[in-house]
Amino acid sequence: RPPSPLVRCRLTQVRWSRYNPSFIEPEVNKELYQKPWEELSEEEKKKLELKAVQPIKAAPPSLSSSVFSDPMVSKFTNMMMKGGNKVLARSLMSQTLEAIKRKQLEKYHKAPEDEKETIECNPYVIFHQALKNCQPIIGLSSITKGGKTYQVPVPLKDNRKRFLAMKWLITECRENKNRRMLMPEKLSLELLQAFNNEGPIIKKKHMLHKMAEANRAYAHFRWW
Amino acid sequence: MNVTVCVLPSQAKHSEHHEGRHYSIPLEEVKAVFPHGLPSRFQQQIKTFNEACLMVRKPALELFTYLKSSNFAHPAVRYVIYGEKGTGKTMTLCHVVHYCARQGWLVLHIPDAHLWVKNCKELMKSSYKEERLDQPLQASVWLKNFKASNERFLKEIKTQKTYVWGKQESTEEGRPLGEVVEQGLARTRNASDAVGVVLKELKQQCQRGSFRLLVAVDGVNALWGRTTLKREDKSPVSPGELTLVYNLRKLMMNNWNGGAIVTTLSQTGSLFKPRSAYLPQELLGKVSHGLPPPSFTMGNRNPGWGTASGHGGRVCFSLSSHNIL
Repeated sequence: RPPSPLVRCRLTQVRWSRYNPSFIEPEVNKELYQKPWEELSEEEKKKLELKAVQPIKAAPPSLSSSVFSDPMVSKFTNMMMKGGNKVLARSLMSQTLEAIKRKQLEKYHKAPEDEKETIECNPYVIFHQALKNCQPIIGLSSITKGGKTYQVPVPLKDNRKRFLAMKWLITECRENKNRRMLMPEKLSLELLQAFNNEGPIIKKKHMLHKMAEANRAYAHFRWW
Repeated sequence: MNVTVCVLPSQAKHSEHHEGRHYSIPLEEVKAVFPHGLPSRFQQQIKTFNEACLMVRKPALELFTYLKSSNFAHPAVRYVIYGEKGTGKTMTLCHVVHYCARQGWLVLHIPDAHLWVKNCKELMKSSYKEERLDQPLQASVWLKNFKASNERFLKEIKTQKTYVWGKQESTEEGRPLGEVVEQGLARTRNASDAVGVVLKELKQQCQRGSFRLLVAVDGVNALWGRTTLKREDKSPVSPGELTLVYNLRKLMMNNWNGGAIVTTLSQTGSLFKPRSAYLPQELLGKVSHGLPPPSFTMGNRNPGWGTASGHGGRVCFSLSSHNIL
């Protein structure tokens, strides 16, 4: 009997790792190792010399040196994952990218000659651009002053912007869809709409900006 | 793996050195020849890339040589294409169907025989024979697609008997077969019987030699397996008790000449068969007793095929995973 392709194994994760501070992070970038010694800058030379002496932490399973791995896509997949089912989340992600590619190819084949160059067929480019379009610039934070809580407009860090964009995308796709529509289809639809700067997530971003604009009187409550 | 897409000469000239290449079928022909034949994933590919490209495979080329050199005075030879999942059995069948349609044969294509033995919402008692059961929905769907692909034959072939459908409806002798099909489409109660009539007429008239008949059945192991259908009193139905399957089994016998029968074994839609079963003995069971055993050389899994014995022989073509290029 052929062995089944999926073998379930439990990976035990340590919550807060207690590595000795002398341990160095693993370096996955292949190009760095292929550079000859003379081309390296001072810092890179120091780092390489340190590696020969100091111990290195174990690389986490999600870190990969493949050309196909994209940190943004991995982060999105992790956010989509439910109950630790990474296999399902990854397959949904790949089906989404395939659905985007198919839709764009259909559009490409039907378009007249002069418009063919404007149609973007690379699903990764569409994914990145859509997420970039969904990121808010300014956010609101609740600050309590004199017993009352005010919504104060606040600049957002890059990580927070990326997180908000991905979170909005996923919640939108989970809640506002047909009962029979599958996640990849709905996600691909939302991503294509966000790529063209339309759709419910872009609207949500604009609402947040408007609220921040409306509350600009409280901006001086911020102390950081 | 070298995949070359090229515009190949017309199909009749496909030969061994074309093996592994893709050839594209114009989309109008796809709609005319395959109203219901292509698998759904291939149809999705056609929609995405706006072209239908079939790969030329070795079993298909062998089948072409056999079909070209077959003697139509002898009883029809039954070809069985078998292999593991995903090796291209249905696509080979579609290639053969397209080839025969181009050559001007009458193609009787049943896209998936498994659909006739499961998930039937309406099972009616047959008006013709008491013990049999009709399937109006499946029959009418098949009749519609058959009509779409073989329009000109339906006008030329005439019925040889009078068929009475009800108190006021009947088809006289000598009317074109298209009228039988229209009757089946108009009254779904008589659709299964209309299918039976069409199959019987085609089998009889093919022997005269005015046209060649290709019977292409995908998933032929459904005809001799079990069904998941139940009667109203919850007793199980065997495939022989369904009108459609009964009439199709009659066509599968090799007591007619003037054409060929090409079939595929499929585990994918089959009922009560394990996933790893793909050999004819495993899927067909007792029916495959007459088949010669496939010959495999040790180590390297070569496609094994049985020898065609004179008349009424059954030939097997196997598709191993080494075949997909």
